[in-house]
Amino acid sequence: MRVGLFVTCLVDLMRPRIGFAALELLESAGCEVVVPASQTCCGQPGYNSGDRASAQALARKVLGEFKDCDYVVIPSGSCSGMIKAHYPELLSDVPQARADVEWLIARTWELTDFLVNVLRIEQVPGTFQGTVTYHDSCSGLREMGVKSQPRALLAKVPGLVLEEMSTPEQCCGFGGTFSVKFGDISARICDQKCDDVQSTGTDAVVLGDLGCMLNIEGRMRRRGDVRTRVLHVAEVLAGTTGEEG
Amino acid sequence: MELRARSFRQRAAESLANPHLRKALSNLRSRMVVGRVASVGELDNFEDIREAARQVRDNALEHLDFLLEEFERNASARGARVHWAETSEDMNRIVLEIARAAGVRKAIKSKSMLGEESGLNKYLQAGGVEVRETDLGEYIIEQSGDTPSHIIAPAIHRTKDEVADLFEQRHGRARKTDISELTREAREMLRPHFLTADMGITGANFLVAETGTTMIVTNEGNGRMSTTMPRVHVAIAGIEKVLPTLEDVSFILRLLTRSATAQSISNYLSFTTGPKQAGDTDGPEEFHIVIVDSGRTRVLGSELREALRCIRCGACMNHCPVYQNVGGHPYGWVYPGPIGSVLTPAYAGVENALDLPHAATMCNQCGVVCPVKIPLPDLMRKLRERQFERDLRPWSERTGLKLWAWAATRPAVYAALTRIAARVGRAMGGRDGAIRSLPGGAGAWTAQRDMPAPAGRTFRELYAARKRG
Amino acid sequence: MNPGEPVMSARDNILARIRTALGRNEPLDAQQSADMRTKLRMHPRGPQPDMSWDLLERFRERCTILSTTVDEAVNLGEVPAAVARYLSERQLPVAGACWPEFGALPWSPAGLGIEARAVTGDDRLGITGTFCAVAETGTLMLLSGPDTHPATSLLPETHIAIVPVSRLVRSMEDGWDLLRREKERLPRQVAFVSGPSRTADIELTLVLGIHGPTRVHVVLVGD
Repeated sequence: MRVGLFVTCLVDLMRPRIGFAALELLESAGCEVVVPASQTCCGQPGYNSGDRASAQALARKVLGEFKDCDYVVIPSGSCSGMIKAHYPELLSDVPQARADVEWLIARTWELTDFLVNVLRIEQVPGTFQGTVTYHDSCSGLREMGVKSQPRALLAKVPGLVLEEMSTPEQCCGFGGTFSVKFGDISARICDQKCDDVQSTGTDAVVLGDLGCMLNIEGRMRRRGDVRTRVLHVAEVLAGTTGEEG
Repeated sequence: MELRARSFRQRAAESLANPHLRKALSNLRSRMVVGRVASVGELDNFEDIREAARQVRDNALEHLDFLLEEFERNASARGARVHWAETSEDMNRIVLEIARAAGVRKAIKSKSMLGEESGLNKYLQAGGVEVRETDLGEYIIEQSGDTPSHIIAPAIHRTKDEVADLFEQRHGRARKTDISELTREAREMLRPHFLTADMGITGANFLVAETGTTMIVTNEGNGRMSTTMPRVHVAIAGIEKVLPTLEDVSFILRLLTRSATAQSISNYLSFTTGPKQAGDTDGPEEFHIVIVDSGRTRVLGSELREALRCIRCGACMNHCPVYQNVGGHPYGWVYPGPIGSVLTPAYAGVENALDLPHAATMCNQCGVVCPVKIPLPDLMRKLRERQFERDLRPWSERTGLKLWAWAATRPAVYAALTRIAARVGRAMGGRDGAIRSLPGGAGAWTAQRDMPAPAGRTFRELYAARKRG
Repeated sequence: MNPGEPVMSARDNILARIRTALGRNEPLDAQQSADMRTKLRMHPRGPQPDMSWDLLERFRERCTILSTTVDEAVNLGEVPAAVARYLSERQLPVAGACWPEFGALPWSPAGLGIEARAVTGDDRLGITGTFCAVAETGTLMLLSGPDTHPATSLLPETHIAIVPVSRLVRSMEDGWDLLRREKERLPRQVAFVSGPSRTADIELTLVLGIHGPTRVHVVLVGD
């Protein structure tokens, strides 16, 4: 099966190792993975800021980029949610795009959902010595139904012990441009997430979206916590948490 | 109520700096959010009921003219006097005229959000009618000259110590410190008003078309008092409140009370049809119903129509991470939280509430708890689009978005720019990989957070290198 | 209040704006209106939750959750003794008012001063019956009327309701059906009362007894 990997703009720029972890997970499960070189952004920043024209331009670009793939897999609940939950509305006034939108959303998967429900993998390459807690990112949870999948996969990682925080489904306060437009509110919301994570006493908070990751890590470090690691679920599953990049 | 939605940013900052507020709001998550889960769990088919409620509300809006006429006909047949008000100013005028014609000197009021919209109390008082709020939360607000910060718990921003100080000062009695004693004192202060008022003013949770009935939900009993004791009763209701039948109200109540206060049912559901009847010992001689538009028909005809499904439970604000931290006042009008971020610009104009639709993380916690499935983030996004189209966003934001889209639709340009950004960011991050200060608008991020630095090379570079072997 | 020209036109303007907003610019036609009215009269119910519980058991359980206390009397004649027991256990005033239908019960022999009359603001005990009681939520369905004074269940601190077991219904919807079967039309007010009045307006902390009764006590009367 031919799988198109949409690494997302944030992974591309900030944390390439997560893209490689996703690649490793898919390839080790036997997928033929293609990474279209022209990929950039799904259009979400423009869409959520009211710039519909920009968002449409990017969405139409995405529509053309994975045409030779059986599946499109994304290590992000937010970007996969953008495609699945919002492209139909975003492109509703572009009738000629309709068939392509339907084609794409039928093939788009969030990474952990894909590993569990399509590939049905039994084993993961990674190991991890320590305890972790899991943060449910909002889009993954509420747009993509990602809740049990990452937990099921983490349970397969030798050495890893999952301890739930009290409110894993509570937003971390990132919200895309919200984090900059209302930086003070965003940081305060994130404090509650940091408190919740820290009260578990685990070694790491694991999550599936880079936006939440940068937000939580950034706030934690500023609060002086240099111990708790903030990790993407893909790198934990692939066993690449020790790597640079 | 005076519109102050333009000062969201400043008032939110004040909220964040207020330790009393922080304490007061901490109860929201521990009580309202946790309580709702248990309460909703009592129903084996909550989601089915929710979907049916959405359909019933939509269907009622689709037949609004018919249902309102039917309501008017049936209410009139039972002796109620039905009035229509195009604006909230008209509504105020009509209520005052009713009061004057009936020689009313004192009115008791049960909480009404529509009354808050129009500033009814102030208007009546200026017109010579004494008005007393009777919901405990509204009474605290009234006595302190404050404005409500929540549609169900108006005084949620006040701690018990603040209420104790207020009551001591206003009632001239010894200071109480216990919440049940404070509540008891409010009962004693308000009881004489119930017995002496000439007029009761209530809102309406629903109007029932088939029977011409108005209904209100309260826990305190003040709604039942206001509709039973005074000789005149005026119910004010927005046009969107009408439902076809008593059965429709009944099944939606299973959602409303659970979503609002985590109760299986509220204490008092009062269904009122007409004034006092022959032989009745209690009840008003005159019963007036004022049906109010005040911007609702405009919303009905707009892309925001779904917001009119709202049944005023407050679950969206209880569950909103922004509301949970800044409270209701920064939203600057009657409706705070996500529903306010939609209704305030919808009623008062997009240009008068620029921050509200943006003051949300789009986490959609509001959307998933809304008992009538209002897609609140989607409606906020529509408002964001209207702002963008009308050039109401700051130049820097619009330019930034356009530049981003320009670059991101040109992969070669994008690759070159991100290549540079990855390296510059890496350098800025220094040895521990954390950027402490970003320039320009991004400085709002680093004011209270580090920005983890990029790794130095983009995925596309590394992937291309790997492909080349 | 003069329902003159401006108010009439407000009505027409609002209805016209609604129709415009709905994109049809005119009222429903005669056939559509007739169809709507028929639908209204059929009283379709929304999806009902599971109600496979036992009526009496459920009613008692829900009353307890609402802080309504529950006692039993084998027949109406035994009610005064049950009421006296409740009041003396809590050292509450033994005088008050009841609905006329209970005026002839043997209150005095039980040591109670209960009069069949409307309550005043000074009464501290009100005794009522109920039209029916809703088991789903532990709720009394009270109808206003010449002999069923609403204030009796509202003004006194203590409200005691006499509830025949035969008058338990499953849901509020069943209550409406019963009302339509037994009464020609809706009374001025139908009040669904679920336990003592309460508020959580200070720090979201629940307190019983604000404007309505502080205590609600149900005496179930067997068949």
